[in-house]
Amino acid sequence: MIYLDHAATGAVSPAALSAYLEVAQNHWGNPSSIHAFGYEAKRYLDKARKTVLEVLGLSRTHDCYFLSGASEANNLAIKGAAASFKSRGRKILYGAGEHPSVINSVLSLAKEGFEPASIPLIGGAPDPDALKLNKEGAILACLMAVNNETGAVSDLDAFYSFRLANPKCLLLIDATQAIGKLPLSYRQADLISFSGHKIGALKGSGALLVKKGLRLTPLIDGGEQESGVRAGTVNVAGAYCLAMALKESHSDLKSNLAKTQRLYDLLHQGLRAMDGLVKIHDHPRQSPYVICFSTLHHKASVIVEGLSNKGIMVSSVSACSSKKENTSYVLEAEGAGKEEAANPIRVSFGKGSSEEDVRGLLAALGQLFNEVKKI
Amino acid sequence: MNCDYLMVHYGELSTKGNNRKEFISCLTGNVRHALKGLECKVEGKRDHIYVRLPNPTVEEEAIARLLSVSGIQRISPVYKCSRDEGELAACGASLIRDSMKSTFKVETKRSDKTYPLDSYAICRLIASAALKTDSRLSVDVHNPEVTLRCNLREDAAYLSLSSYPGLGGYPLGMNGKVTLLLSGGIDSPVAAYSLLRRGIKIEGLHFASPPYTSMAVIDKLKDILSVLNGFQSDIRLDVVPFTKIQEAIYEHVPEPYCITIMRRMMMRLAESWARKRKCLAIATGESIGQVASQTLESLQVINEVTNYPILRPLCVSDKVEVIETAKRIGTFDISIRPFEDCCTIFKPKKPKTHPNIEHVRRYESFFDFLPLLEEALSGINTIYMSDGEEVIPSK
Repeated sequence: MIYLDHAATGAVSPAALSAYLEVAQNHWGNPSSIHAFGYEAKRYLDKARKTVLEVLGLSRTHDCYFLSGASEANNLAIKGAAASFKSRGRKILYGAGEHPSVINSVLSLAKEGFEPASIPLIGGAPDPDALKLNKEGAILACLMAVNNETGAVSDLDAFYSFRLANPKCLLLIDATQAIGKLPLSYRQADLISFSGHKIGALKGSGALLVKKGLRLTPLIDGGEQESGVRAGTVNVAGAYCLAMALKESHSDLKSNLAKTQRLYDLLHQGLRAMDGLVKIHDHPRQSPYVICFSTLHHKASVIVEGLSNKGIMVSSVSACSSKKENTSYVLEAEGAGKEEAANPIRVSFGKGSSEEDVRGLLAALGQLFNEVKKI
Repeated sequence: MNCDYLMVHYGELSTKGNNRKEFISCLTGNVRHALKGLECKVEGKRDHIYVRLPNPTVEEEAIARLLSVSGIQRISPVYKCSRDEGELAACGASLIRDSMKSTFKVETKRSDKTYPLDSYAICRLIASAALKTDSRLSVDVHNPEVTLRCNLREDAAYLSLSSYPGLGGYPLGMNGKVTLLLSGGIDSPVAAYSLLRRGIKIEGLHFASPPYTSMAVIDKLKDILSVLNGFQSDIRLDVVPFTKIQEAIYEHVPEPYCITIMRRMMMRLAESWARKRKCLAIATGESIGQVASQTLESLQVINEVTNYPILRPLCVSDKVEVIETAKRIGTFDISIRPFEDCCTIFKPKKPKTHPNIEHVRRYESFFDFLPLLEEALSGINTIYMSDGEEVIPSK
């Protein structure tokens, strides 16, 4: 199998898995219990928390809460902040290309009297100028660091400038596709969300980093776990695994980035050679971990199915189905034409990806473009 | 009151004359197979099949399973009770009361004529006991909501009250087997059910066009067959690689005739395969007028390629009925999963509803399809679904 869908999910790293097993098998106590075995589990949880914050350089500025993934983190950040700060205003800003867990959370607040405002994209990322235009009454801006469909990288510094100039508008950065991959800084963000399974930890784990002193209204009520921010017995093994995976990703970050850039360039070159058959969606700021291109004369879902039948796993918005004619809202927001937005293919790399994978993909694409009926 | 055994009543079996023995034996075997694991004792007699329950707790499960066995008209749970007048009256009364109906009637048959009371007396005995226990009950000999049947035998009294309507139809296996074209849509599984009810075994045939059609359709079909396993415990699905044929058709044939000619190719393949598999007919879920390829004119042109019998159990059914049945048998939700059996690339904008046979023959002459048909037949991949699970046959 050639797996090139790392933006969707990746395998758990051996080191992270050992970390998980160590806790799950030997230190499985409830960290809230008031006995020695519970205290032991709590130590692992504390270590996990400390590690995450240290790796990201946020130990003095932020708190770390563990939960089930980025979707939950986004929900908590958005709904929790809206509930806590509704006296400041009603407007909530969100990038037009945000992940559905962000967009739908924000839109759901409309029925409670909040005013969702979509921030258009420029170069595939939220336009900082548009932020300024929408600052009146804004209490929260939800902006992703790297777009999961296209790999477009946001101008985080511009967002941080906006934040400084508008202290009443909190900043949520969804860092899921950036964490462990790009050397970005999050110190000036109020809220940072990410999930574990895209950096070598297990599915069902994630974190929300919250600026110290910021009180969110919790989504899940119950016991006092995670300082009352997120009730429920903490998945200590999952959190520890996440922390170790993050640490591991960070230690190799630069070398992996350089290697992935080479893969990106190789694929880009190969796709350019398929003159007239594909359109690559380039951005001024691009994560080499994700490349998105549209098939100009073939149905993307058929090509993806054909690749799958050849053992190559990539992604697209639509499955082989006429009942659900999906298009990429992200590409549409970027300004792509209807046909292009309807036929995107996304290739995404991970730590284990190789030049062979890229060559295999290019060869298979070439074959399929020849064989498959054009639309 | 504990159920002692189930009485299975035949439907059409009773009109079969000389073949009666064969039918009873086939149905008895199917009943035994359906009740596998419940440790029931099954006896096929001339008028009924008796299913003796090992203990009352299996009554519900046994009845549930038998409701999917074709050839059964009714299933009645029977309760055994002592011949002592007091107990008989009490048992009969409690069964009537438990039925939660307000009007009843008692019918008695004395298999043992030496019993002191005659049939009428037994009826009165039970009826008056029932009336005493519940003032809301009343006797109605013409149109009772519920009838208590009492059979007084030498060893005991056997009482039965309700009966569950069975599937009807014929025992599976009596009527041979057919090759059923399965697309994964709503209709073909309902056609399968109609055939199975009538005792006709099915073998599935599916035309796949990867990469235009997704492997997810095959998974959908496995799930559908898993549901149909409730009626036929072993079903095979033969998947025909249809891509090259489809591409060739679209390359050589004018668009409005593509579907017509595609269906003709499918029928040719279905006939060859049915003959090879010794199936006695082809079957489809076609319904007259539903889509362009299913007008009578289209059916005539498509059917022209073969004189093998083509059964179309849904040919005069309304879509609404078909959907209701699909929901009832549990295939609807699977069928509506959004994985098409035919890619939108191959859907002509204006398919011919009244194709002209001369045109069709001329277009078919534009390309040599015989070798493509042979290649497709030799590339068939078979999936076996048994009792709801996929089975990989050992070499």
